Amino acid sequence: MDQHTRNSFPCGFRYQGWLVWLHFSTPGIQHSLSHVSQNNNSLSEAAAQQVLQVSPAPVAVDMVVLRAGLCPGLTEEMIQLLRANGIRTVVDFVSSDLEDVAQKCSLSYKALVAVRRVLLAQFSAFPANGADLYEELKSSTAILPTGNPSLDQLLDSGLYTGEVTELMGAPGSGKTQVCLGIAASVSLSLKQHVLFLDSTGGFIASRLYQMLQAQTEDEEEQLEALQRIQVARVFDVYEMLSALQELRDRLSQQVMSSTGPLKIVVIDSVSAVIYPLLGGRQSEGLAIMMQLSRELKTLAREFSLAVVVTNQVTRDSSTGPLKPALGRSWSFVPSTRVLLESKEASWDKGTTRRVAALAKSPRQPTGLQVELDIGNGDMPEPSPVTPTQGL
Amino acid sequence: MQREVGSLPLAPALRARLAAAGFQTAQELLETGPCGLSKEIGISKEEALEALQVVRQECHGDAARTAGGSGATRKFTALELLEEEQAQGFIITFCSALDNILGGGVQLTKITEVCGAPGVGKTQLCMQLAVDVQIPECFGGVAGEAVFIDTEGSFMVDRVVDIAAACVQHCQLIAEAQQEEDHLKALETFSLESILSHIYYFRCRDYIELLAQVYLLPEFLSEHSRVRLVVIDGIAFPFRHDFEDLSLRTRLLNGLAQQLIMVANDHKAAVVLTNQMTTRIGQSQSTLVPALGESWGHAATVRVIFHWDNSQRLATLYKSPSQKEATIPYHITPHGFRDVQPPAVTQKAEGTEMNPRKRPRREEEEKQQQFQS
Repeated sequence: MDQHTRNSFPCGFRYQGWLVWLHFSTPGIQHSLSHVSQNNNSLSEAAAQQVLQVSPAPVAVDMVVLRAGLCPGLTEEMIQLLRANGIRTVVDFVSSDLEDVAQKCSLSYKALVAVRRVLLAQFSAFPANGADLYEELKSSTAILPTGNPSLDQLLDSGLYTGEVTELMGAPGSGKTQVCLGIAASVSLSLKQHVLFLDSTGGFIASRLYQMLQAQTEDEEEQLEALQRIQVARVFDVYEMLSALQELRDRLSQQVMSSTGPLKIVVIDSVSAVIYPLLGGRQSEGLAIMMQLSRELKTLAREFSLAVVVTNQVTRDSSTGPLKPALGRSWSFVPSTRVLLESKEASWDKGTTRRVAALAKSPRQPTGLQVELDIGNGDMPEPSPVTPTQGL
Repeated sequence: MQREVGSLPLAPALRARLAAAGFQTAQELLETGPCGLSKEIGISKEEALEALQVVRQECHGDAARTAGGSGATRKFTALELLEEEQAQGFIITFCSALDNILGGGVQLTKITEVCGAPGVGKTQLCMQLAVDVQIPECFGGVAGEAVFIDTEGSFMVDRVVDIAAACVQHCQLIAEAQQEEDHLKALETFSLESILSHIYYFRCRDYIELLAQVYLLPEFLSEHSRVRLVVIDGIAFPFRHDFEDLSLRTRLLNGLAQQLIMVANDHKAAVVLTNQMTTRIGQSQSTLVPALGESWGHAATVRVIFHWDNSQRLATLYKSPSQKEATIPYHITPHGFRDVQPPAVTQKAEGTEMNPRKRPRREEEEKQQQFQS
């Protein structure tokens, strides 16, 4: 397909006339379907029907250990015998030659086959029809406006739920300001709850209040909007992971009373907590980073939240070009990336104008640039959107 | 209780073994118990017990949080934070222009970084702040103590004595002018000796000592709960000379930044760091930029750059989450960090030419005028 599907690690193959599409990451396929259907109405229905999407569960299947009671027919002595022969997990069991196993463990072949069938049914992923997916996408995805019309234009009308959006920039480029603006706008105009995870100490409530005051005169509304924004200060990656875990537990238990309808999670910044662990000889940092990314994506996907993260930029050497931090592995995590820059090169002039450029997007061509004013949130700037050569 | 094993703060080797053995959630670990665990993955019983303790702590923390208790995690609504911020004080710098662009002064619970070329006045500001943090509340201060971590050896006690004496004199003038009970009472405890005795001075000679000192700070601050300012004068110095492995440096600096922001937040203290400048050589020109690299720029919440313009010292607010960028001039006098006097003070400036850099020698009125913050 076209470049829009490149985000989703597609591996598709034809099986009896159906196009089976395995994807492991964010719903790139859904967006490409929506894109196709927007352009080709007649083609969409047929195409959608032909696509069977198989998406494995987020939890790694191969690591499930065999335990008694996992399925009927799997007894404790069976497990002991299997373990004695080196079969500990579900995948070990399912991928081994059952005749061989029956001989070595002196178990009945029929029993083993029955157990395997049940395990496969339990643990393999369920295929979903492309058309159903598309319907689900249309009904469950929401687009949240950021409060800044030029930024909305850049993001194709706003922040999409179910996706991770990243803002990156040098220090002082306005990432925290844009995040505060998003929180203020979502809380005030959409009356939705916002969860703000602050890991740098950059959240200043009085600045947020200033932004709210600029948008509405009514004090009641301002106070209500402030109460809808929850802030958690997490300065360590483990604290961040437990805060996200707690959010997941709360949402899955559907305890709506305290949080209300939560639609957006803003994390400022994600690189501050991961950077101290990256590098060095151990790959612990990378593992934690991937754990965090999986947590964010499953949160976004399962509970239809929009996740906004901020990232730093670094240089290779003191004269090299700026590039986003956290490396290539992280670059696959967000589906949309926006680079914020100051217009002026030197730091002598005080200005609130910034330039936002689109570095990665599943919907728009990269290289789009708009001008932002981070002075008081939403000053409607009808700036021209000019596709340049990209970064 | 569905906490994944990968997200628990265990040693990486242990985590790898647990993953290979097939454990996925914390629940499974707790169900297995220490004996089962040590048998399964081949570690000693003590290690298994330790690991399970960590897991239990995390899970109980989680359970307490989901049950509605907000004690374990720092979760507040923006409204509560706004009220907290409005009640919080600032540490004034005695230079009202600088206080204005910072939004009232140096903010508590944030990291402020001061960068500048040599000799522009960073250490002077640090010493001024170490004195100013102790100003009693009735005079507009935060009545705290200060921790001064010196890595360059530029802390001069005689200079602090001068600054402290000027500050005490200033407060005395205010008390005399206003004649209030609590002012006079506060002045009894606010003397030169008390100021000097509440500045805790540490000297760190290399980066390892600095890291150790920051690691031990939380304990120190819990014992001395009135500390409201931590100054690290010269965070660049130990990391710039003699450091070969640059990626290690980045890692250490980032870890340091996170520790400092944690300290600032937990103990409601302001952290002030000073940084050096380095030259970035571009294609056609070279510019002075703060040292320690790009990633360090994200560590501080507020960044102020001091620089020269001919012979006038200027301060630029380069990065702040709540204030706009601005540049103001300042002055360093025998009494410390001060504003630049505008040339409009003509009736007092008898005999001085219209030279805005020469301060008129009328100290009392000028100080009273400044202390409007």
